[in-house]
Formats: sequence, structure tokens, C-alpha cells
Amino acid sequence: MSLGEPTGQPAANTVAPRGSGGDTLVHSRGVTKRFGGLVAVNNVDFDIPRGSIVSLIGPNGAGKTTFFNMITGFYTPTSGEIEFDGHPIVMKRRNKMRSLRPHEVAGLGIGRTFQNIRLFGTMTALDNVRLGANVHLKSRWWDAALRTPGMLREEAENRESSMELLRLVNLEDRAHAWARSLPYGDQRRLEIARALATRPKLLLLDEPTAGMNASETRDMTNFIRRLRAELDLTVLLIEHDMRVVMGISDRVTVLDYGTVIAEGTPTEVRRNPKVIEAYLGRGAADT
Amino acid sequence: MTTLVVKDEDPYGHGIGGWLSHVGAVLFGIPDTYRRELRLHRRRTIALTIMTVILVTYPILNSMFLASFSRTVFPLPLPDDTTVTFMMIFGIMAIGLNIVAGFAGLLDLGYVAFYAIGAYTAAFLASPHWGSISIVFLANVPQGFPGIHLPFWIIVPIAIIIAGTFGALLGAPTLRLRGDYLAIVTLGFGEIVPVVFRNLADVTFNFSLGPLTIAVEHVNLTGGPLGINPIDAPYLPFANVIFNASAGYAPVYLGMFLLVIAILFARNLERSRIGRAWMAIREDELAAEMMGVNTLRTKLLAFALGASFAGIAGSLQASYLGATTSDFFQFSTSILVLIMVILGGIGNIWGVLLGAVALTYVDKTFLPYVGQQLQQIAPSFPNPAQFNFLFFGLILVAMMRFRPEGFLPNRQRAAELAAHTQADVEAKVDEIVAVDTQAETEAAIEADPSIILDNTGPPPGQDETGPDARSPETIDEERKL
Amino acid sequence: MDQVIQTFIIGLSNGLIFALVALGYTLVYGIIELINFAHGDLFMLGSMIALFLIASVFGLSASTPALELVGVILLVIAITMIATAAINVTIERIAYRPLRHAPKLAPLISAIGMSFVLQNIANLIAGPANKSIDNLFPTTNLLSVFGIETIAVTFQQAFVAVVTIPLLIALTWFVDKTKQGRAMRATAQDPDTAGLMGVDVNRTIALTFLIGGALAGAAGVVQILYNNVTVWNLGFRFGLNAFTSAVLGGIGNLSGAVVGALVLGQINAFSDRYLSANWTNAIVFAVLIAVLVFKPTGLLGQQLADRA
Repeated sequence: MSLGEPTGQPAANTVAPRGSGGDTLVHSRGVTKRFGGLVAVNNVDFDIPRGSIVSLIGPNGAGKTTFFNMITGFYTPTSGEIEFDGHPIVMKRRNKMRSLRPHEVAGLGIGRTFQNIRLFGTMTALDNVRLGANVHLKSRWWDAALRTPGMLREEAENRESSMELLRLVNLEDRAHAWARSLPYGDQRRLEIARALATRPKLLLLDEPTAGMNASETRDMTNFIRRLRAELDLTVLLIEHDMRVVMGISDRVTVLDYGTVIAEGTPTEVRRNPKVIEAYLGRGAADT
Repeated sequence: MTTLVVKDEDPYGHGIGGWLSHVGAVLFGIPDTYRRELRLHRRRTIALTIMTVILVTYPILNSMFLASFSRTVFPLPLPDDTTVTFMMIFGIMAIGLNIVAGFAGLLDLGYVAFYAIGAYTAAFLASPHWGSISIVFLANVPQGFPGIHLPFWIIVPIAIIIAGTFGALLGAPTLRLRGDYLAIVTLGFGEIVPVVFRNLADVTFNFSLGPLTIAVEHVNLTGGPLGINPIDAPYLPFANVIFNASAGYAPVYLGMFLLVIAILFARNLERSRIGRAWMAIREDELAAEMMGVNTLRTKLLAFALGASFAGIAGSLQASYLGATTSDFFQFSTSILVLIMVILGGIGNIWGVLLGAVALTYVDKTFLPYVGQQLQQIAPSFPNPAQFNFLFFGLILVAMMRFRPEGFLPNRQRAAELAAHTQADVEAKVDEIVAVDTQAETEAAIEADPSIILDNTGPPPGQDETGPDARSPETIDEERKL
Repeated sequence: MDQVIQTFIIGLSNGLIFALVALGYTLVYGIIELINFAHGDLFMLGSMIALFLIASVFGLSASTPALELVGVILLVIAITMIATAAINVTIERIAYRPLRHAPKLAPLISAIGMSFVLQNIANLIAGPANKSIDNLFPTTNLLSVFGIETIAVTFQQAFVAVVTIPLLIALTWFVDKTKQGRAMRATAQDPDTAGLMGVDVNRTIALTFLIGGALAGAAGVVQILYNNVTVWNLGFRFGLNAFTSAVLGGIGNLSGAVVGALVLGQINAFSDRYLSANWTNAIVFAVLIAVLVFKPTGLLGQQLADRA
């Protein structure tokens, strides 16, 4: 797998304007999610500094994807607060917890990929990326029905910037292939391109290197670094591959049974006995 | 690899001027577009060209010599002018339902309600129904004539707005429901609307709140079971043409004109950001929502826009026939339009048009023709025209079983419909692969736990190609669950 | 007040017939999540078959001696139930089973097509007009035994109760206590796991259709003996009411279907009496829409699987 050449400067049309959150892009306090009797996420405090790459790790079932789903508005937390760039995502109204709907969260600037790729399989790669841009396009249905100059202009710009994104992930010559006909690695990159089309400030990547070999993983790791640098992005990863986690994270948070058991730099976390115990069981921590 | 070269001057222009020049460019570009389509999609273009030529020339040829030939020399199952006009009317409805069911993937079983709303809009605004007042505006009727009389070209936009509004009203609370429940709710609406039209012939009520008093006595709101007639026919003053049921083939071309506009609108919507949003919702609604698509509003738009097409069709039908009654609007009509969409090719504009033309022909011309011929040979044999829905029902069952994507399939829908069986198989295969890999890697971790946190090379037993393959760390963690 | 009670009694009788049909809807939905559009028309076929048997085959009339009447009616019920059960199983085999892995809406559309087919077959064979039989029961008011003259419970109404209530009880026993009933509940909850546990899913689904079809047939017999008239599009009104009953009670829930049916029987009776039969269908639809929009799980909202 090879990516396009790094250009060393932010690509046009992909940098999102800054909001009011200051240095902390995501601020969450006391976030809890209960499903009936099961507590999936338990009183989590989690901040993501702007411009950082943060990894969220932990054994399976630890609540990582549930937390992702709460940030993106798919689940409503049972309690707690989540703020993104100064905007509250979760609020309490009339004693009931309410969350922004996922498309509103996407509009605020959070883009994501999925653990099991969820591309629009029978749409072309280009259309998948163009769909991502919908959230900030302005033309209405009557503009579309009449094909007004404004709509045509917007479509052409969208097409151009979507092709840019495909170039970024080195898929521009597969632009008109159906998404589901692409090989696995290409699909993963397409999903990222689609998420980037929403012009996010925060990119949530759910196991971006799942199923990749060592060299592909290296490329993806470098790619994520470039995204942060060139597109001024903040990245939150769920990852199981420790090479990736240790390699690019500025900070690592470890969840186990829905609770934060460790937080810090990769080196700190890796030596933390609680973390070792969570992954390997009690005995291994003593070795 | 193509790149879009953005010239310095903006080729799109602004405002009305820009739009007109764009329209002009499209019109002048038609020969080139046609040549390109012919090159890229040879069969489809030829088929559509033939169909268009036949449709456009047939009404004239029919009136010139085909009809008399059929009368005198040999009876042929030729569609008469009314049938061809209804081909246009049903074509508009098929395109509208295609937006709802084909583009957005929502099953609407009550589409006839919007057809009725369009028809009654025309009936209210172009007939002597409101006998106690007289509003005549640009209509082919003397001043002071009782009732409201607006010209057809004003009624059509009004019908669009009213039908579309009702579509939005129905959709707003119900589009959250899942597919089969939504279908039933729309069916209910499709039943309630004609019942309301049938039963409001004698409305009496008194309402007073403070100084406000509303009292109506025996007001005939909707004409009841007898309906409303006569309804003014569309009228073209410059050529002094009336487009009603006794006007020969002229109404066919009025219908064709509206149909062409409907096709253009539908195609433009399909190839826009809203069309892509509909496709995405149909494929994976959750992912679409996550990518910023307001799924509720987008679905509502499909619903309302689809309804407005039925409004056009209804207003044309009522004005053409010169009358309307709730008997015209049955559940079977909703299903007939649905069959047109499914038979022709759900999601494909040309497919559903073909379905509309074919089924209108079968229903209004072919089956009655067969019935007539059978009558002469075997008089006691049942008349197939009366049992048309026996065939249509069988068609539905057969289509869903053997060719759900229709005869002119939309490639995406065909793929989606096929994918359902394939995906099940693939998912099962992945499960099996993962289990085998897990056993191997568990053994490796047992041997050396440190590979979890400190990898120096590719771990053994890792499958690098399957989408659900896991690195050994993951598998070990799964073991912990 | 007498009128109210009388309307209530009429509503009860209708409600019981609705209940038999509603069970068919709810059983099938509980197990394969299909709204079996054609079920109301199967009920209509049941009444047609019963009419044929009563009028043409057995030649019953009001003058038939009571013992023979009862015997033949039981026979008619049995034959009709077998016939409609067989028809239902066949329909499942050809129209729904092949679509088991298709998108959810495909079997629904197929069911709609099937509904039209059944209606038109009836229309073809029996003609478009109402078909009727003579009243077979004595017309005395059963309540006159107690000295009540102003409210009537007819033999027909008693007959409805006498046939439907045992059937409802039998069905409940079957689903709760037998091995096949357990298999049905397991399949309703999770067909794949049930299959892994050794349940023959195809057979179980076929059994569900068989039972639902038999109940519809029984309802058809009751209907023709109660109302004395049937027609090719009878299934629409009864199907609508039965389906709404099932939804109102909580689709997939057996007792819910019965409760919902009793409620809808009353809605029909009171709407017919105090409003106008013209509006009754629209009102039932309005109830259906309201339940689906505001409380889609219904009043008793449980699944067939949780019935225990």
C-alpha cells in the first residue's frame, strides 16, 4: 500500500474553522452508559487536547466503541456531560438526558470510521466521498431539481475536493469503482476519505489497522500522522495493535469494564501494572 | 485519470441569466448528448428512442388510420386516446412513487391518497362546486359563473404544493417507523383520504369560542359519493384547444409535456446531493446519519416530493375526465402503481416508465380486448378485464420471487437485492475463519505473553486479508470476555 | 342503556371472530416478522368454503333437526379448518419461504399480491355479489329465559362464543405446553439459535401457518353462520380489524391479540350504531395509525417468545 506524496501543507477545502473550545477539543465528565443492568461505560472523564492523537485502548467489551457512539450522538449517556469545541453534545432537559443527533454532531465537526467497514457498497468510491460532503453543502432540493448555477458550481467544487481526498488516500484511479468491489485496504482508506469529506476537526478512527500486515500498518500509522499535520486534525483512535498505539499516540487512555484504569503517555501506560493485568490476567502482572 | 480544470472565468454564471444560459447550453447540447449515450449505452438508448418515437407519433397515426383499420379490417388491441393519456398520468405517478420507493427505499402503500388530493384540488378550483361564490380568473368561463375557476396551469402548481404538504404531514410523525409498519400506516392514510372525500357531503357543525362563532349547515364539502363535476378542462387560449376526454389526441401531448417535466425533475434530483443522500440512506441509514445526513428530513423530502408528483397526475386526471369521485381512488390503484414500479425496474426512471406504459396498456386495452374476443368465442368464460387484479397479483408474487429488480433494473438495487443472500454466506465464512485463526494464535500467546505489548515482528497465524481478521492481541482480549 | 348493552353484546360477538383471525396475524408476525396481508382473505375463503358445504353439500336449513345440525356444523368446521390450513401452508411454501432471506419488504409485497389473487379467485368462482344462506338457528332471545326482553342474546351470538372460546383456550395450551409450541416460541425469539438447538425451523414455520390458517377457517365458519352472508372482498374489513387488534394488543403477543380484538369489536359496534358504518373503517385505520405511531409495541407489548 502506498499513499500519495506528502505535500507538506494543508489541503484546501478540508480545514475546519476553529470553535470556542480553546485547547481542549473534547471535554467529557462523569460519562456513564447503562443498558438495563449492564454498565458499559462507568463515570468516565476524558479530555482530548486540540491537535493531539489520543488512543483509547482496553480489552474487548471495555466500552470503547460505546464511548465513541456517545461522542457521535448515536447513544445518549445515562449521565454525564460531553462537550465538543465548546458545544454541548449532551444535555439534560426536564430531567431527561438528551443528545444531539448523529448528523448534528457530524455537522459540528466530528467524523468517524467504523470497526466493520460501513461504506455504501453499491455507490462508487467518488460518490461515497461526495456524500460525506453533504453536511456542509448549501444547495437545496429546488436548486437540484432546476440545476441552478449555484448548485452546478457547488457540485463541481464538491467533485473537485472529493477527487482531492481520493488523491490523498491514493484511490483516485478507482474513483468510479463500486465501493464494495475494492480490496480491503482500499476500503479502509476510502472510509477515512469519506470521513474527511465531512471536514472534521476531530477524526474518530475505530480500529483503522484491523486486518493489516506490518507494512500496511506502518503506512496507515504514517498516514494518520500526516492527517494531523496537514489537515490540522485531532485524532481519537480505538486500537488494539500496540505498535500503532505506542508509535503515534500523544496520550493513551485505558478502559476496562467501562472504567478508566490508566491514562498518560504511551510509556507510562505500558508499564502500568493495572494495564498489564487487565490484558493478561493477574498472574502476568507479577512476572 | 481525469482532472477537472477550473478555468479562470466561472462557467456557471449567476441568477436567472446564468440558469437560462445553462438551459440553453443543455438544449443545444442535446445532439451531442444523444450521440454519447448511443455510444455508451447502445441498447438502452435505442430501446428508449423507439419507445419515445412510438409514443409521440402513435396518437396521430391512430386517429389518422390505425383506429379505422382496427374497426373495419381487423380488430387490433390498439390503445385509444384515453388510454394513452392515462399512460402519461400513470407515468407521472410511477416516477413519483419511484422517488419514494426506488430512490429512498420507503414503501408507500397509500400513494393513491395524493392522487386523490391532486384531483380534488382541481375539482375545488375549477368547477361550479362552490356555487355560492364566483371567482373566475384567466379561465375559459364567463365572468360571474358560479364556483371557483382558475386555469389549469395555475392549478397544477397549487396541486403540487397541497399534495406535497400532505406528504410532509403524513411523513413527519411516521417516517421514524420501520419499513413494514410505515407501509401499513401509509396504507391507512390511503384508505382514510378517499373515505373523507366520500363522506363530507353533508357537513353541519356549530363552533363558538367567545366572540368567534362558526356555524355551517348542510354544507356539501366534497360532493360525497357522487363526487364533483363538471370540472373545467385545461384550455390553451392561443390555439383554442380544450384538453378534455372528448378532444381526441391533444390531451396526450399535454400529458406528455407534464411527463417530460416530471422526468427532468426526477433525474436532476437523482444526480444531486439529495439523490446521493437517498441512495446512502437506502444502503445503510445509520452510516448515512453518521456522515452528517439528516435522515429524517431527507426521507421526509422524498415522501413529500413523491406525493407532489401524484398531485400533478391527479389534477391532470380530474381536469381531463371533467369529473372526480372517491370511487376513482382505491387501494388497488396504489398497488397498480407499485406494480408498475416493481415490474419496470425499481429505482430506474426509464424502467418505471416502461412499467407504467405497459401496465396501463394491459389494464385498459389488452385485457378488455381479450375479453371482447373471448366473448365471441366462449360467452360464458369470465371476462379477464374484470379479473385484472388476479393477473396483477400473480405478477407481484412472481416478480418478488424471480426478478425483484424488475425488467430494466437499476444496477444498485439489483445488487442490493442479490447481496442479501450472498452477505449471509460471506458472514458465516468469516466466522469460521476467525475461529481457526484464534486457536493458533492463542497457542502463540501462551508460549510468549510479551508479544502482546512489545511486537517486533509479524505474529504467527495472522490472516492478513479477511475484513474480520484480528491481530493476536485482539483475540487474546476476546478470550477474556 | 339497553341499547348500550345490546351494542356491547354485538361488539363482543364480532370481537371474538376478530380474535380468531387476529391470532393468525400475530402468530405469523411473531415468528417471521411478516404482516401476512393475505390472511384476511384466507378467512374469507373459509367462509366461502363453509357456505358451499352448508348450502350445496349438506343442504342444511332452518328445518334441519337440531342434533343433525350440530353434527354437520362440527363436520363443516373440521373440513373448513383443514382446507384453509392446507391453503395457508401452500401459500407459505410458494410465496414466502423462497423470500426468507430477501429484504424485509419483499415478502410483504408478495403477500399483497397473494391477497389480490385470493380475492379474485373467490370472485371468479362465487361471483361479485353477496352470497348468503338462510339463518339456521332459532331466533329466540336466549335472555328471555331470564325474563329479559329488552336485550337480546341470540343463538348465533352464543354459537360464536361456544366455538371461539374453546379454540382460543386450545391454542394457548398448545403454545405453552407442547413441544411444538415451545419450538414456535424459540423460533420466534431467535431462528438461528433455535435451528442450532435442533428445531426444524421450516417445519415450525409451516406449523405456524397451519395453525393460523385453521383458526381463520374456523372464524370463517363462525362468520357465515353468524352473519349469514359472505362476499369476495369480506377479507378486507375483517383483515383490517384483525390486524389492528393484533397491533393494538402488541403484535406477537397472543393474549394481546385477543384483548385487542375484543376492544376492536366494541369500536366497530359502537361506531356502526352511533356514528355511521361509512366512517367505521376510517376510524379503525385511525386507531391503527395512532397505535403504530405512538405505541408501536401495543398495549400488552410482549413477544410471542416471552409468553411463558
